[in-house]
Amino acid sequence: MLGYYLDLALRSLRRNKALTALMVVAIALGIGASMTTLTVFYVLSGDPVPGKSDRLFFVQMDPQDMNGYTPGVEPPEQVTRLDAETLLRDGRGVRQALMAGGSVAIEPDREDLRPFYLRARYTSKDLFEMFDVPLRYGSAWGDAEDGDRARVAVISAALNDRLFDGADSTGGSIRLNQTTFRIVGVLDEWRPAPRFYDLTGTQYGEVEEVFLPFSTSRELSMSFSGNMSCWERYQGDQTESGAPCTWMQYWVELASPADAADYRAYLVNYYEQQSAAGRFERPTNVRLRDLMTWLEFKQVVPSDVRLQTWLAFAFLLVCLINTVGLLLAKFLRRSGEIGVRRALGASRRDILVQFLVEATVVGLAGGVLGLGLAWLGLWAVRQQPASYADLASLDPVMLATTFGLALAAGVLAGLLPAWRACRITPAIQLKSQ
Amino acid sequence: MNVHPILATLRRHKTAAGLIALEIALSCAIVSNAVFLIGDRLDRIRQPSGLAEAELVHFQLVGITRVEDPEAQAAEDIAALRAVPGVRSVATVNQIPFGNSSWYSSLNLEPEQQNPTMQVTTYVGSEDLLETMGLSLVSGRDFVPEEYVEFQQAQSDPEVVIPAVIVSRAVADRLFPGENPLGRSVYVWGAAPQRIVGVVEHLAKPNDIGGPSSEHTSVLMPVSAPVQYGINYLVRVDAGRRDGVLEEGVAALEAVNPSRIVLEDRTRTFEAFRDDYFQDDRAMAWLLVGVCVALLVVTALGIVGLASFWVQQRTRQIGIRRALGATRGQIIGYFQTENFLIATIGIAAGMVLAYAINGALMGRYELPRLPWYYLPLGAVVLWTLGQLSVLGPALRAAAVPPAVATRSV
Amino acid sequence: MLHMQDVSKVYRTELVETHALRHFDIAVDEGEFVAVTGPSGSGKTTFLNIAGLLEDFTDGSYRLDGVEVRSLDDAARSRLRNEKVGFIFQGFNLIPDLNLFDNVDVPLRYRRMPAAERRRRIETALERVGLASRMKHYPSELSGGQQQRAAIARALAGEPRLLLADEPTGNLDSQMARDVMELLEALNAQGSTIVMVTHDLELAARAQRNIYIIDGQVSDLDLAEAAARPLVAAREA
Repeated sequence: MLGYYLDLALRSLRRNKALTALMVVAIALGIGASMTTLTVFYVLSGDPVPGKSDRLFFVQMDPQDMNGYTPGVEPPEQVTRLDAETLLRDGRGVRQALMAGGSVAIEPDREDLRPFYLRARYTSKDLFEMFDVPLRYGSAWGDAEDGDRARVAVISAALNDRLFDGADSTGGSIRLNQTTFRIVGVLDEWRPAPRFYDLTGTQYGEVEEVFLPFSTSRELSMSFSGNMSCWERYQGDQTESGAPCTWMQYWVELASPADAADYRAYLVNYYEQQSAAGRFERPTNVRLRDLMTWLEFKQVVPSDVRLQTWLAFAFLLVCLINTVGLLLAKFLRRSGEIGVRRALGASRRDILVQFLVEATVVGLAGGVLGLGLAWLGLWAVRQQPASYADLASLDPVMLATTFGLALAAGVLAGLLPAWRACRITPAIQLKSQ
Repeated sequence: MNVHPILATLRRHKTAAGLIALEIALSCAIVSNAVFLIGDRLDRIRQPSGLAEAELVHFQLVGITRVEDPEAQAAEDIAALRAVPGVRSVATVNQIPFGNSSWYSSLNLEPEQQNPTMQVTTYVGSEDLLETMGLSLVSGRDFVPEEYVEFQQAQSDPEVVIPAVIVSRAVADRLFPGENPLGRSVYVWGAAPQRIVGVVEHLAKPNDIGGPSSEHTSVLMPVSAPVQYGINYLVRVDAGRRDGVLEEGVAALEAVNPSRIVLEDRTRTFEAFRDDYFQDDRAMAWLLVGVCVALLVVTALGIVGLASFWVQQRTRQIGIRRALGATRGQIIGYFQTENFLIATIGIAAGMVLAYAINGALMGRYELPRLPWYYLPLGAVVLWTLGQLSVLGPALRAAAVPPAVATRSV
Repeated sequence: MLHMQDVSKVYRTELVETHALRHFDIAVDEGEFVAVTGPSGSGKTTFLNIAGLLEDFTDGSYRLDGVEVRSLDDAARSRLRNEKVGFIFQGFNLIPDLNLFDNVDVPLRYRRMPAAERRRRIETALERVGLASRMKHYPSELSGGQQQRAAIARALAGEPRLLLADEPTGNLDSQMARDVMELLEALNAQGSTIVMVTHDLELAARAQRNIYIIDGQVSDLDLAEAAARPLVAAREA
């Protein structure tokens, strides 16, 4: 029976080619626009560590003095070096890492390359395992290297390509800030979106090109790059352990999401100890958010992208209403045919399905065309200068969503017209008007 | 034109007419907000920096090796840059408007204030900074040499007093509305107050931290820019010499000390920084333009489609009217009046919706209220769109011969 | 075959109640050819609509081929209509987008019949009305008489127990009207039960039995008299 309806739908659509084209194009534009923006939104709001993001927690605590204090205030986004190092020493999580951004000068051991600057991440060793970082060659460094302030480095795939033409460079060396580092690992492609572990900078940028032990970076006074917030003046280097400045991120992995309460209690306890010792002045103020909650709290998806998504769906709505109106006019114009069909034994349901099939064909045709438009739209997004531009591409999930949306659009657009059509009473005499 | 029979007919086609009205309402609401957003973005893109933009280039370098006396090297750099033909003045600087990397500080009016009065971004640099930037002083004066403090000292020595500050008009108006800000004291850096010695017309911030409500909340301090790790030079040149100075300037700086890295993406004309900084806004504005056009086209085509249907459906009725003496003009008028009525309903609903959407955006994007004149403007646009769209079908209706009336089905 | 007892139909609008049928009784036996006549607005069409299950009625009982129709839902009525009733319309009511084959196919489709069976029936039906060679033609390519014969083929294809005809010759010239009437008579001779609504008393006279409806009721007038009087009037005019 469906084949029959399909045949009827195609006949009817062929009869009014201009109108069919208009409806298909309207739906295609709507779907193209919404899928483009939805894909960007989906890519930007994804889970950067799938499978374990509910066990990764971001630690915040408020070490500031009472100046500017208001009750309920959000603690600073980052922690002080002293607190980060203390928590790391306590090691209450399954894994944990302190980290900060930096920049280092590299002098390549090649005639054809001049010295250049690299974005670096200074971290303790657990970062790699904790974030499921894929390694192409070698491995991360260990506790010993962290403790010994060893001159070791993990480099990105891109840097490895640039310096070593993609060969296995582990065991080799690079000169950073005039110090020789041994390469222990090379990352595989790793492009978490957003770059969740440090949201103070470019939130959707690529990961750093070189990862070094934090302890080493401090011994060599490597330059810090990122946001630093100090609440009082400090005589000396603000990256020192005792400085009244927050500039580091601290992440902890717990065995299960349920352990968060215990860990939070530990943080509260730590905070109270510090208060008792006179180091912290404010009422206990700690936060422990899991990864996705943290991303949501930070509203990482750019507000323009949200706005674009709303806009595109509003546009789709207008396109749908347009199609509903045209289908309605079209179906009701065929009330004569409907009356005859009813007289010849078609039930209301038969009529409803017949016209829904026609609407769905329009929706699906619009969907296919819309998919092409979305593909074009995403190509256009990739030409944009935005830091997330290169991430915008369709994956199977979004492909399936597109067809779901097209199907839903067709059925939705056809529902009211088909309903009205099936309410037409069977007739023995066709009215001419 | 007698409206009554049209209304009677529309009442019999409530759903279809309602859908077109709804489409017009949504288009009206979205387009008026989109146009408003476009205006907002254009204002942002066009905001003045306060600087002599067409005459500025920027250099940024970072060292590989530790330099014994970075201040001396900076002095050498400045001399080398000054020697480049076309250079009018050179200054070290910590940050530039639209340059993204920024310093922020809280500003207080009392020495031991619990909550800061406001957050400001602090520009520091060498003695020629004001002149090099090309800022225009509204009142007061530039810093005098005695007021300058070394950055290292200011950072580490609690006894050092920074005596003066120059504020933007935005800061002055916020702190001392309607009063003369010159000579007033503020606390930006250190325990001792700074006296406001000058007010500049505009001085944009390096980035958007603080949101649109804190636009241009900037101050200048007589503190030298830090030179240890990296160093920024702002160079004012003859407008036509910018590219030449960039090229020759890099060569001159490398001649001073070759073991430094010139950061290419930060060694550019000021206009290049500005272009980059507002790229997202420009893209968003174009996107909004695209959406508006697409919406209006779809709406127009919807009106054409539905009107064509109605004309077809009423061919006989039109023939009868013609046979009864209606002129072509009256037939056209009939369809145009019908469209006008539907559009009016849509526009009325669209305005309510426009304000609702605007209300939601206001909360989210710190947007002002939609100005009232968007309403008549939007109405005229959609009325015109409707009339133009319905013209084709109406002309076709007018071409229906009266003989149709006597023809059998 | 068709039994209506005490059937009433009231149309209600905000202002008025119109009794289209009141206490209507009629019985048509299998194999009969009944003509229903009556003035405009007498309830002929309402009767036909109810008989054909196109419209509900307000009161009474209607049994079609032994099935009580009242209280059936839309799907059941549609099935019953599809299987038991064939319609012949005044305006032919062929679907203009479909060729003759596909037009005749319509009722069979709703019976979910296999393709081969449908094809056989369509061909037989078109052959019976003499249009086998025009199968691929569209309604607009045919004369009025051919269209009505195609419509009859469509009514026959489902092998209905009851044929309902509404002014089947109303839109045809006299030669074509005669052809169509002869076709109906032939079908009746082959065993089809036919109920024909008409205002053409000459046609009505050719039926086995005449029923005269006036004011929504079967008239008490003597059938012959009822038939004769308007005939006289017609001759006078």
